[in-house]
Amino acid sequence: MTDVTESPDATAAEPMVRAEQVHKAFGSVEVLRGIDLEVGTGEVCCLLGPSGSGKSTFLRCINHLEKINAGRIRVDGELIGYRERGGKLHELREKEVAAQRRSIGMVFQRFNLFPHKTALDNVTEAPLMVRREKRSVARDRAAALLERVGLGDRMGNYPGQLSGGQQQRVAIARALAMQPKLMLFDEPTSALDPELVGEVLEVMKDLARDGMTMIVVTHEIGFAREVGDSLVFMDEGVVVESGAPREVIANPRHDRTKAFLAKVL
Amino acid sequence: MSVETDSPERARPEPIRAVPVRRPGRWVAVAVLAVLTAMFVNMLVTNTAFNWTFMVDEMFRPPIMAGVRGTLLLLVLSMLLGIGLGVVLAIMRLSDNPVLRGVAWVYTWFFRAVPRLVLAILFGNLGILWARLEFGLPFDRQIGALFGVTDFEARLFGFNTLDILTGFVAGVLALGLSEAAYMAEIVRAGIQSVDEGQTEAAQALGMTRGQILRRIVLPQAMRVIIPPTGNETIAMLKDTSLVAFVPVSAELFFQLKAVGTRTYQLFPMYVAACLWYLALTSVLLVGQYYLERHFAKGHGRSGRAKLKLRGITAEAGGGAGTEAVKS
Repeated sequence: MTDVTESPDATAAEPMVRAEQVHKAFGSVEVLRGIDLEVGTGEVCCLLGPSGSGKSTFLRCINHLEKINAGRIRVDGELIGYRERGGKLHELREKEVAAQRRSIGMVFQRFNLFPHKTALDNVTEAPLMVRREKRSVARDRAAALLERVGLGDRMGNYPGQLSGGQQQRVAIARALAMQPKLMLFDEPTSALDPELVGEVLEVMKDLARDGMTMIVVTHEIGFAREVGDSLVFMDEGVVVESGAPREVIANPRHDRTKAFLAKVL
Repeated sequence: MSVETDSPERARPEPIRAVPVRRPGRWVAVAVLAVLTAMFVNMLVTNTAFNWTFMVDEMFRPPIMAGVRGTLLLLVLSMLLGIGLGVVLAIMRLSDNPVLRGVAWVYTWFFRAVPRLVLAILFGNLGILWARLEFGLPFDRQIGALFGVTDFEARLFGFNTLDILTGFVAGVLALGLSEAAYMAEIVRAGIQSVDEGQTEAAQALGMTRGQILRRIVLPQAMRVIIPPTGNETIAMLKDTSLVAFVPVSAELFFQLKAVGTRTYQLFPMYVAACLWYLALTSVLLVGQYYLERHFAKGHGRSGRAKLKLRGITAEAGGGAGTEAVKS
């Protein structure tokens, strides 16, 4: 979108994602209580924490699936969900929010593939409807993406005919089809049988090697250690500890982090 | 009895040929039913009030066939109006806009509360309310009076109510507008049966609300919407007989009754009505069977993943739709 005012401090050093003092409440329940986070371009940031710590909610705030109550979230320098004009925040229109979401891919815990469409049609849907691509162009790119996630022979299958791991890989291809500059993963392997987790993580590692900026909510400590550039540990709506994954995992400074890692490792 | 599992090849045991449990109650029931059926058939044949030859002669005559066509046309038009308006009302009902929600709620409340028979009579008499329908600036005379002009009129066009609201149009409106209220609830149940994650996934891809509804949610809602809509269509076929009170003459029941009144043979014509509605409904039932089978096929293929994920059975999904209809 060209009509969205660029923030004045958008420089070359501007991180891909910059969250400042993000607060979010559902009714009287405060889920996020001041989250500060920066993710540089090409970085992989892993969000760790017990369930109910607000990590999924925070992820959903980044593409405005949830409205935040206070603070600011910028993606590639662009304020998410609002426009700042004359010191006042104006809500963006539905179409403008949709336009912002185009460049932010999201992968869900439960895949959320469209069950009435084949794998190929799942991937071409958004390029056709949102980017108004030509059918042949969208098909070719979708086929290449499905090939990349190892499902070149499954393009005509419906989600119901695929295993969980295959469905999640289709979901990743579907998000990539919009050529996003940021990918959000919300516990992408939590709903999978243990033996199917590897194939999905493999695709994600491949993406990370390719230089994709990623924020991954996960319980896969091994993945965080191997692929992550930074690790953020959250609890009760605040960032408890963050740093280089190896550092945090090997020498957690906070008791809460220690207790959590002791349980999952 | 000792158990021997180590013999490599065990002989296949003899198939069971047990004596089935005797069920004398069934035979008694069959006997009772046989006697009752014989009595009923005997009455059909011997009771002269049925006047079968007269009935068969009369029930296929041109005016009656015109009535059948009229009934089918009423059915199609009122269901089209009902489904179209019903979808719009359902979307309004689920909208973020409180005004739209309120309007849809009031509409549904009114048209579900008033019996169709009363609606039919009411719509047939709308000519009493307005002799002419005119379109233009609202309250034009009052506005004129405000500025001291007594004959100020700002009307674009108009027509005599009776020219437009003929019996047939009034009948279609009464049935269709009432049906829309029920269809709205069916469509709403269908839309709500689609997992919230579907909308979120589509939103995350940058699709707009209209696209999500058209491309993602409604196609999946159809599975839940189709079966109760079949029921509604069958119910509507029978309710077309209510427009006889509008009155509409190009309709099956009106025509059959007219023959009965003219010939003083009312009862055979009522029986003919039963047979006609039975026949037409049976045709619709066959259509509904194939339609449901078609959509069940889609469910078996594509719904399995969801089933695994959410532990929701196909029956629960279908049941949610029909529950909402009854409520």
